Amino acid sequence: MSGAQLLQLENVTRSVLLPDDSELHILNGIDLTVSEGDHIAIVGRSGTGKSTLLNILGLLDRPTSGTLSWRGKDASRLSARRAALARGRDLGFVFQQFNLLPGRTALENVMAPLMYASGRDFWQRRRLAAESLERVGLGARLDSMPQTLSGGEQQRVAIARALVRRPRVVLADEPTGALDVTTGRAVMELLDAATVESGAALITITHDANVAALAREQFRLEGGRLQPLMQEVAR
Amino acid sequence: MNGLGGLATGFVAALLEAWQELRIHKLRVLLSLIGVTIAVTSLTTAVAGAGMAEQLMKEQLERQGRPAMIYAYANDPTNMGMPTATNETSAAFKKTAERFKVEHTSIVGRSPGVQATHQGLSVDADVQVVDPDYAPMHRIFAQRGRWLEEADANNLSPAVVVDKTVVRSLGLQNAKLPATVEVGTGGEKVSVTVIGATSTQDYGTMGQMWMLPETYEHWFAAAVPLGDVSYAMWVPTENADELASNFALQMRAELPGYQVNAQRVDYQAWGADESLDQMAMVVAAIAGVILLLGSLSLLNVAMVTMKQRIREVGIRRSFGATTGRVFFSVMMESVVATAVAGGVGVLLSVALVSNPTLINMVLYGGIDEMPGFPVGAALLGMGVSVAVGALTGVLPALVAARVRIVDAIRV
Repeated sequence: MSGAQLLQLENVTRSVLLPDDSELHILNGIDLTVSEGDHIAIVGRSGTGKSTLLNILGLLDRPTSGTLSWRGKDASRLSARRAALARGRDLGFVFQQFNLLPGRTALENVMAPLMYASGRDFWQRRRLAAESLERVGLGARLDSMPQTLSGGEQQRVAIARALVRRPRVVLADEPTGALDVTTGRAVMELLDAATVESGAALITITHDANVAALAREQFRLEGGRLQPLMQEVAR
Repeated sequence: MNGLGGLATGFVAALLEAWQELRIHKLRVLLSLIGVTIAVTSLTTAVAGAGMAEQLMKEQLERQGRPAMIYAYANDPTNMGMPTATNETSAAFKKTAERFKVEHTSIVGRSPGVQATHQGLSVDADVQVVDPDYAPMHRIFAQRGRWLEEADANNLSPAVVVDKTVVRSLGLQNAKLPATVEVGTGGEKVSVTVIGATSTQDYGTMGQMWMLPETYEHWFAAAVPLGDVSYAMWVPTENADELASNFALQMRAELPGYQVNAQRVDYQAWGADESLDQMAMVVAAIAGVILLLGSLSLLNVAMVTMKQRIREVGIRRSFGATTGRVFFSVMMESVVATAVAGGVGVLLSVALVSNPTLINMVLYGGIDEMPGFPVGAALLGMGVSVAVGALTGVLPALVAARVRIVDAIRV
């Protein structure tokens, strides 16, 4: 059962200008609605624009045309500053290559997003980060450096980091792409459980059908268009 | 209130991020800041050293007379117009000085060509015949023993104060004062008592010796009458020139037939203080060049490093870092780093400049009143290092702020 509407894409397109002045259309007429508690998977082959779509959903990029609404308001008119603040407050990212900050411990990595928070979240960042790491089962590895952690552990640190500010939407770009099948499945189950627990929507971009199968809604991105594969399976 | 609180939190967070970045990249930061530390040490030392040199120069210039120093000469037309001192001229000077309420006065007479000997060692010396006030008027201190006092006129042995050259030449460095030495002049030898030794020295081979007029009159004047005599007075600098001309007029009225002149002779009267300003400017220019080179090397390292940190910037932007925050954080890294380097530079400078042995060796002279480390130089060093950090931080901060997030997180 979905909650309040968070993100809505209406007839969104994204194209880029190539060096020879021709235009490359990456996304065409994308329609998508994301509500609280949703778990959506978007599958597609490499180069079909999955990451571009995720960037637009994550307010990292803007559509060329069409409407992107964030909690009922036109997000394409948000200033860069407001988009950044909304990103920090309401969106969490999990990347394929983990993207942990080098030279910092697991705890410092999870504390990093809280450096852009204010009030209690900022001043209690150490405690909040430790709790977040506890939730992903890394309470004993707080002071470990990324290079001493396995791939699965690094991705769990990345998940703890994505969830530490209690976002409304978690965007995962190929979260299991750098992991073996067993570890990947464990990580996805953890991500799913953590977002269900927090009530956040989870949007997973993947080319792995097994990972997509964990989602309650699945879409295929092909030729720049988004096609539903399966709608709202029962939890 | 919330806005202010958010701003304060942002500032603290940016500082923490900057410090964390420096902590993580200790070696790179250390290497890139060596140039800044050296530059700040040089700048601070140069400015503070210029202060020391100025003090030394001032002390040496003031030995010719502290501002405002007026010398009055009474030229006797019957004595080939030479400046002379008689009971009559001295009485006229004293009366005029009292009339103008001049507090510090001294007769100044010179008798060249005495030879001082002690235990087989000898040195040629200049004798200056002066009153006790001569010392404060010319910034002369007795480093050992004491300076002349009026009561010394009654001593049974002539009391003299000598300079560093006489002390060294006669091997009196470790001798207890008072000490007895022989002074020969005009074919006669007199045993004198050295009651004090000053820190001053001339840069020639001649030594210097001071005694009271009564002492000279009693023991030496018969052999070599005192010539080239003047009367010195130390007055406030305001209206000193006007005082000098009025003083001459009044003293001339007291001495019919004499030609009386009075004029300022201190360094301010002939513009030596301008050369002190010029020296400070030259030193500041040299330090500026050093600083420019240090800043360029820092900027170079910062730009190369920023290119390698694009991905990190992209990740931070995905956490919600605004363009302004990224700019400020990167700039603060530079400012915090150079502030630390500046602090180290200033401490090194304090250690160098507060070392009297080193300063006296470099400046080739003794400073009587070692000035404290100038606070202005320390503040300048810190201010300049923070300014250098801000300026050299701007370019990398601009590069970081202009990063396209979607490109950066793919790097």
